[in-house]
Amino acid sequence: MDVILDRESPVVGATPKDILYAKGTQRLYRYRPVTDEVYRIPVVLVMSLISKPYILDLSPGQSLVEYLLREGFDVFMVDWGVPRPEDSHLGLEYYVLDALPRNVEEVQKVTGEREINILGYCMGGLLGLMYNGIFHDAPVANMVCAATPVDFDGMGLFRRWSDRRWFDLDRLVDSLGNIPPDLIFRSFEMLRPAQRWAEYARLLDNLHNDLYVKHWRLFNKWVYDQIPFPGQAYRQLIKELMWENKLMKGQLNIGGRMVDTKGITCPLLHIMAEYDHIAPFDSTQPLSTLVGSEEKEDIILKGGHVSLIAGRNAWTRVWPQLSQWLGERSV
Amino acid sequence: MPDNDNRADVGQLWRSWLTETERQWNTFFNDIMGTDSFGRFVGGYIETYSQVQRLISQNMQRSLSTFNLPTRSDIVDLSERLSTVEERLASIESALKTLAEAVGHPTQTASVTQLRPRRTRRPRSQPAQAQ
Repeated sequence: MDVILDRESPVVGATPKDILYAKGTQRLYRYRPVTDEVYRIPVVLVMSLISKPYILDLSPGQSLVEYLLREGFDVFMVDWGVPRPEDSHLGLEYYVLDALPRNVEEVQKVTGEREINILGYCMGGLLGLMYNGIFHDAPVANMVCAATPVDFDGMGLFRRWSDRRWFDLDRLVDSLGNIPPDLIFRSFEMLRPAQRWAEYARLLDNLHNDLYVKHWRLFNKWVYDQIPFPGQAYRQLIKELMWENKLMKGQLNIGGRMVDTKGITCPLLHIMAEYDHIAPFDSTQPLSTLVGSEEKEDIILKGGHVSLIAGRNAWTRVWPQLSQWLGERSV
Repeated sequence: MPDNDNRADVGQLWRSWLTETERQWNTFFNDIMGTDSFGRFVGGYIETYSQVQRLISQNMQRSLSTFNLPTRSDIVDLSERLSTVEERLASIESALKTLAEAVGHPTQTASVTQLRPRRTRRPRSQPAQAQ
């Protein structure tokens, strides 16, 4: 009944945290450590511009943030917030050249450590890759990318729909400013049109299972809780990546700085899902080949975009592997 | 999966059917949506969406101005100015803090900066080095 009436919306993002730095809608959070002793190198979670960050902190027992804290990491999160109309001019230059370096400085200041680990989910991984590919002297000790698309030739239907022959990108961005969440949500939904109805049918089948219903509500809350996409960043993403695939070609230029991913030499852990329909496997798979790191490891799972980082696959396989990989390199 | 009496589990059959039907419908729609003509349709839809949005926005702006009410762009302007004020305040605060530290009067630090766990943790498999 709660599901039908949408009563008692599940509480998300409840792990205690403090705001360390804020600018505009962007917040840098520090989660309160739960162990007396933490790994020397802090972990900075870089979130996507497309969705809300609480996917990494869904609920107690189902939160990557909580898991990392219990494993003894000092965890920070770069949350871009919900862009306001006046943020429509924010492009990749702001996120990569201005905001990320500033957030890293704040983490360094508060921890007293020079080095940091970056963990980027979806487009957050892309931003981390761009940052690290521009600033080769950046203090990134280790990098983890999860469900991060790099080869936009592999973006499937998204690429087809945004074909420059019929997609008037400039008119769209100039008219709307930020891209409305509804437009983004519908495009995701169109990738698997039958999924929503099948999910409702599965929910009916599992109404007696409280745990299933709880998880269903949590994931659904996140899926429908979309945010606008900053207009200028969207324009660059489509032009530079979707149309020209410049990151793969080594030609991506952000604010006059070349993104040279071959110059990234820190250890890399790359987590991808075989049945990811948002960032298809073909688009994520070549990431490891782009970087110059000698030490790199790929984890390929059978799940999808979300289950990779927050589903059963995540709790049982990804999180323990991630913790071990990061722990060994964070002393 | 058959139960103890070797009867087919209807629930399981239904679940398999649901998964297979979902997969087939998704493939069917994806095939249609992957064509050039559908791409052109999406392009046309986006163009119409943009035009309608622009028209509504212009008309609304005109109407609000007629009644001497603030328009969306007025509010965005105001918000931008507020952001500038916030940023300037933050930089003044930061400068004052630096100044106070320089003259030996550190300001009260926020609770978040007071969290100082020992940064000596090692992975379980890795023994701690002798200090």
